[in-house]
Amino acid sequence: MFATLERLDREAPLLAERDAPLSGGLEQAAVDWRVMSDSTDQAAEADRDQDPRAQFEEQALPFMDQLYAAAMRMTRNPADAADLVQETFVKAFASWKTFTQGTNLKAWLYRILTNTYINTYRKKQREPYQGTIDDLEDWQLGGAESTTATSTRSAEAEAIDHMPASVVKDALQSIPEDFRLAVYLADVEGFAYQEIADIMKTPIGTVMSRLHRGRRMLRELLADYAKERGITPAATRSTK
Amino acid sequence: MTDCGCEKARRDLEEYLRHEVCKTEQSDIAEHLANCEGCRDEALVATTLTEVLARACKESAPEELRDQVLAKLRAVQAAH
Repeated sequence: MFATLERLDREAPLLAERDAPLSGGLEQAAVDWRVMSDSTDQAAEADRDQDPRAQFEEQALPFMDQLYAAAMRMTRNPADAADLVQETFVKAFASWKTFTQGTNLKAWLYRILTNTYINTYRKKQREPYQGTIDDLEDWQLGGAESTTATSTRSAEAEAIDHMPASVVKDALQSIPEDFRLAVYLADVEGFAYQEIADIMKTPIGTVMSRLHRGRRMLRELLADYAKERGITPAATRSTK
Repeated sequence: MTDCGCEKARRDLEEYLRHEVCKTEQSDIAEHLANCEGCRDEALVATTLTEVLARACKESAPEELRDQVLAKLRAVQAAH
């Protein structure tokens, strides 16, 4: 039972404080569950065993906002995102008995979300370069690192920090999907490389490559935006 | 503990910041960052990008979605 708690703690993303309310609620749920199982409250425990739907709702539904946010970045519109989340929960509930209590529920739900998206939604909005993107050379993708002078890096950080959310989302939306997913899962959700590899069903090396390239492209896009708006004072970029 | 130099620090910076396995010792990268302002700035850009992405992508699911999902789950269960 302690494994549940440890895993939830360990799952805390790079910047643990950013979704404190969510994980707080989740830990609460896990604690309640443990207390109930360990206690002599046999009636409540039996009740729980008999009603998988109540158990599913209690454990899985707290992830709705997170799954919806991911679905928004995948489908790019609220209607499809809502459908995708609904479908994900229905599928997850249908396989609920295959979920092992104490393992990572969030990663399990994301795997179902990602599968559902790839199998259903991506088909109708497939991007032309899908499937070949990993083969592109770095020079074809551009790179912020080589074009930004060292002295302006802290200015770059400051410019990124002040970027409006809509600009950041647009930039994320404009990079190739596999890159976008890797960046989203790592940076927004704080999943470890191995978890992302499991969710995207790709080797860890591919996850790393997509993540690095995706982030480099984002930096480039945000640097361009800042430059256009005159946000970065020096903006000394040697190319372009 | 030895300073790993800029090249290795830059190559493995992302993994270092995410506490992922990488070829260079974490302590060697830490030492390098303590000595090198350029790489510290690079690390600052990297962590800022992560923070900004996380902040920008926060969404709340519409209220009605929760009700729709609950209704759907009840319907699915009733059908079994």
